[in-house]
Amino acid sequence: MGAVSRVTRWTPRIAFAAALAAALADPAESQANRRRGTSITIVTGGQATLPVPTLMEGAESSVGNLDVADQLFIRLADLGPKLQTAGDRDFVPALASSWTRRDSVTLAFDLDPRARWHDGAPITARDVVFTIGRAKDPAIAPRLSALLRQIVSVSAETQKRVVFRFALPYAEQLYDATFHVAPVPAHLLESIPAGDLARSAFVTHPVGSGPYRWVRNVPGQFVELAAVPDFFLGKPKVERLIFRTASDPGARLNLLLSGQADAMDIIPPPPDNIRRVAADTTLRLISVPSSTVGYLLFNQRDPKNRARPHPILADIRVRRSITLGLDRRELVQAVFGSQGVVPYGPVSQLLWIRNGAPEPEAANIPEAKRLLAATGWGDSDGDGTLDREGRPLRLLLSLPNTSGVRRQMALLVQEQLRRIGIQIDVQQLEFPVWNERRSAGDFDVDFSSVSQDASPSGLTQSWTCTGGNNVAGYCDRAADSLITHAILGRGDPGDTWIEALRQIERGAPATFLYAPTFVYAVNRRYRAVTISPQSPWITLRTWSVSPAPVSHRSN
Amino acid sequence: MRSWLLLRLIQAVIAFVVALALLFVLMRAAPGDPLSRLSADRPVSRQEIEALRARYGLDQPVGTQLIAFVSGLLHGDLGVSIEHGRPVTSLLAERLPATILLGGSVLLLNFTIGLWLGVRQAVRRGQREDRWLTTLSLTGYAMPSFWLGLVLAWLVGVEWRLLPAAGMQDPLLEADAGFLSRAGDVLRHLILPVVTLSIVSIAATMRYQRAAMLEVLRLPYMVTARAKGLAEHDVTWRHGWRNALFPVITLFGLWLPILVSGSVFVETVFAWPGLGALAAAAVGSRDYPLLMGASLLVAALVVAGGLITDVAYALLDPRVRLG
Amino acid sequence: MTAAFDVLQSAWRNPRGRTGALILLIVTIAALFGPVLLPDPLAQPDVLDASRPPGLGHPFGTDQLSRDVLARVVSGGRISLSVAFLAVGLSVTLGAAVGLVSGYWGGAVDALLMRIVDGALAIPRLFILLLVLAVWERVPVLALILLIGATGWFATSRLVRGEVLRIREEGYVRAAEVLGARRHRIIFRHLLPNALGPLLVAATLGVGDVILLEAGLSFLGLGIQPPTPSWGGMILDSREVMISAPWAGIFPGLAIVITVLAANLFGDALRDAVDPRSA
Repeated sequence: MGAVSRVTRWTPRIAFAAALAAALADPAESQANRRRGTSITIVTGGQATLPVPTLMEGAESSVGNLDVADQLFIRLADLGPKLQTAGDRDFVPALASSWTRRDSVTLAFDLDPRARWHDGAPITARDVVFTIGRAKDPAIAPRLSALLRQIVSVSAETQKRVVFRFALPYAEQLYDATFHVAPVPAHLLESIPAGDLARSAFVTHPVGSGPYRWVRNVPGQFVELAAVPDFFLGKPKVERLIFRTASDPGARLNLLLSGQADAMDIIPPPPDNIRRVAADTTLRLISVPSSTVGYLLFNQRDPKNRARPHPILADIRVRRSITLGLDRRELVQAVFGSQGVVPYGPVSQLLWIRNGAPEPEAANIPEAKRLLAATGWGDSDGDGTLDREGRPLRLLLSLPNTSGVRRQMALLVQEQLRRIGIQIDVQQLEFPVWNERRSAGDFDVDFSSVSQDASPSGLTQSWTCTGGNNVAGYCDRAADSLITHAILGRGDPGDTWIEALRQIERGAPATFLYAPTFVYAVNRRYRAVTISPQSPWITLRTWSVSPAPVSHRSN
Repeated sequence: MRSWLLLRLIQAVIAFVVALALLFVLMRAAPGDPLSRLSADRPVSRQEIEALRARYGLDQPVGTQLIAFVSGLLHGDLGVSIEHGRPVTSLLAERLPATILLGGSVLLLNFTIGLWLGVRQAVRRGQREDRWLTTLSLTGYAMPSFWLGLVLAWLVGVEWRLLPAAGMQDPLLEADAGFLSRAGDVLRHLILPVVTLSIVSIAATMRYQRAAMLEVLRLPYMVTARAKGLAEHDVTWRHGWRNALFPVITLFGLWLPILVSGSVFVETVFAWPGLGALAAAAVGSRDYPLLMGASLLVAALVVAGGLITDVAYALLDPRVRLG
Repeated sequence: MTAAFDVLQSAWRNPRGRTGALILLIVTIAALFGPVLLPDPLAQPDVLDASRPPGLGHPFGTDQLSRDVLARVVSGGRISLSVAFLAVGLSVTLGAAVGLVSGYWGGAVDALLMRIVDGALAIPRLFILLLVLAVWERVPVLALILLIGATGWFATSRLVRGEVLRIREEGYVRAAEVLGARRHRIIFRHLLPNALGPLLVAATLGVGDVILLEAGLSFLGLGIQPPTPSWGGMILDSREVMISAPWAGIFPGLAIVITVLAANLFGDALRDAVDPRSA
């Protein structure tokens, strides 16, 4: 009896102590450590769900999928470090060992004769024809088919030579032919109807052409890839590649700093975080210009009734005064430290057209106040907020609750504008709600942040009168014609682009706030590390790794 | 008894149907669209959006969608997730084990340490230990789980590097490694999230067990047992605790849903690959099929938990009047 | 009424109950008058030298926008407490009303109400709030209070219904009914006063729950909107700087713990007073 009760009494303690001992003893560590030397664990925000080029439509065109697809599938040619999408100069051979221009609308690629799919079958021109055929079908790939609309036909001339024909001569033909989609294996996919592909076995075990092949996917945790030993451009030295997922940025930082990950894609601001990561001597920080640009978008139509102009923001002087009333340098400095710039026009650091653009305007409080006074806004009741005809100068600033950067920035903007008498109410919205309101034009000021394609032609969507993503009622015919001219004109369109940007800035449809530099962290034991802005880990096949791990970790 | 059981069962089914209807209406009434994410950071054409809406059946009237959903549900098909492009049932099945492991471990701690402490408190009623345990457990109960998780992950995981700060397993451990190494690995990752959730939840079990034990301690046969000269320890555990256990067992039914839903924040903070994190992401992306699937699973567990509690209580306690 | 007063008095005699009540009182006073003595919680004195650790000028340090964390914790208390008190007041009133109706009238009304309550209880409260909050253009604090209050009465109504059913069986209520007493007289003279004790317990414990719930919503960015400081919102802001400025998140969290603990200690003492056997 006594024995029984003693057992009852001690069971919890013993169980607890045993659990603790087992946990801390960590029998797994030594084994995992041996593999650590030749592998890399990268922690990112989203996990790959469908990392297959023609399938990454809709929600699947996520960073998680793109990162993995870039390792599994190799493109005909890679975009070089300058990201010059116009012309052919900045492209480097990949799956295609060379290409030739036959005339202004015909481009022929010669595939590398050594290239093979991961199942051993050779990669042929037929694969390319098949892939573009799928990608151009709007029923299968609405996004890709729109991007590839200028490609009229693709044909296999020989086993290894494929010829693209375009609708018209333009500067980004090579970019369109190579960048948007990497070839997929026709011999494995032809027999699967396009509609069933997303549920086929191919998706759970994709067979690719790139430097890494698929090993396994552990749902919600990570995707594991392994180096292809006979990859035709040379076997990658980092033998195992793990993309580890954590949706929460704080959790990603914890994984990196606890040594559970070797690399992380974007260290979230503020600058103190970057200093904290830099204090870890095992980590190397790499700054990479980003394709993101953030801005305050002014609604020029009344959100309650789109037929009417906005009661406050339709006046260009009010919009100008907001831009002039903000010390954008200080805003960028406070949120990004040295890792960001104030953009001129809606132009991220990656768009090549920013070369030669003028300096963004500095803050000019007196001018901002003068403009507001000229519009009839004054502080008649002395409460610190300007008013006109009994109505205060008060604007709602909407932003999604998912963005820490925008939340911080919004509070800084609010404080700075308070000083010139403009009251900003910050409203965080659940992401889908924010986005629905934005698309419907239901906002005063929208805190937008877009990630731009390498090609400046994407600007038509938001900044021309008929652009599909122009939600704020901005319309300037002069800017429209400059943009059209820059895209379709032959020769170097750089100057025309600058002129278009000037015209946009003059119309003050938005205050362009920041174009950040992203900071990546990579463990110091990796050498020859480069990060590509468009697809950060695509050069991984050329990295090397020092045999002895620099740090011991507590995974 | 049988008619009572039948009635209770019908009630449970009605509750589930009401929950389903409420969920469906709320979800569709709330603004936001599963495809809205797309245009968030890149330009999207109207044709593209329409093609995708047709693909997921979102262009149908809501009534048609509801009928399609219910008929699918009756066949065990919850549709295809818009975010993941895969059947909802398989997504839920993939994530359920991690959540059950986490919730189950919390439950285990609650029903071992929690019960044990609750009994100790009852036996030492009003003494210093009782008072301290009450205050301590209530302190844990007062902590927001997300805050405690953030603090523990930072302090124990990053600053002290004692335990993994996030995740459920070391990806470098081979899938075919020995069972012991893999179990040990998962165990180490499990500690911080389990401790977080246990600290914030153990008070409820302790309070309940303490109250139940106090009831029993007052009963005449306990006095008799003591009078017979049995050791105090045996009186407490052999005579007392056994009888104070059954009201606590019924608590289990109420805990069932917490197994699945109670850990949304904690799963996110610790990057735990469970249902909670999946559902939280589904809310943010308005992934209707996934959201319906996950919340219906929780609703079903709540209803089933209530049913189990009532039935267990009725079976165990003859004083409950059935009729 | 005397029953409720007795309960309060007996809870006050309980040392833990008294501690809880006193802490709650101190927190309330600090929230009411503290902001007068402290710096402006919205001021951003030097955004380029932000995230200062706790020190002389700023006992709790400054956050990443150089705002004083102590001032924000104190002002955040004002919001958290008023939301909690008002929302709980509302949900207890609603719960009592529904419970009385359901328990007193019985029959079809009771069945209908209780089935709705069953269904609503099966959906996590946070989830309902999330979906409903999405409809608002800009969520005013008042709307937040109404919503939290309107989604918190389900369990209370069950409790009150049970009490009503129990009390109705007692002799004196039966007698009053037989003697032909009016309905509202029975409800307000007999049923309500006797249910007040358990209601008081539910309300006090509810205060703690609502503070945690509001913090959770604000942590998701959907509750109190910035720049108005709130405890949950401050933890949200600190989420990504935990590694570099932990003080910005630790102090508001401690404020939540202390306040909720106080409410629960007091509620616990109240419960002991209502049901002395559990003391």
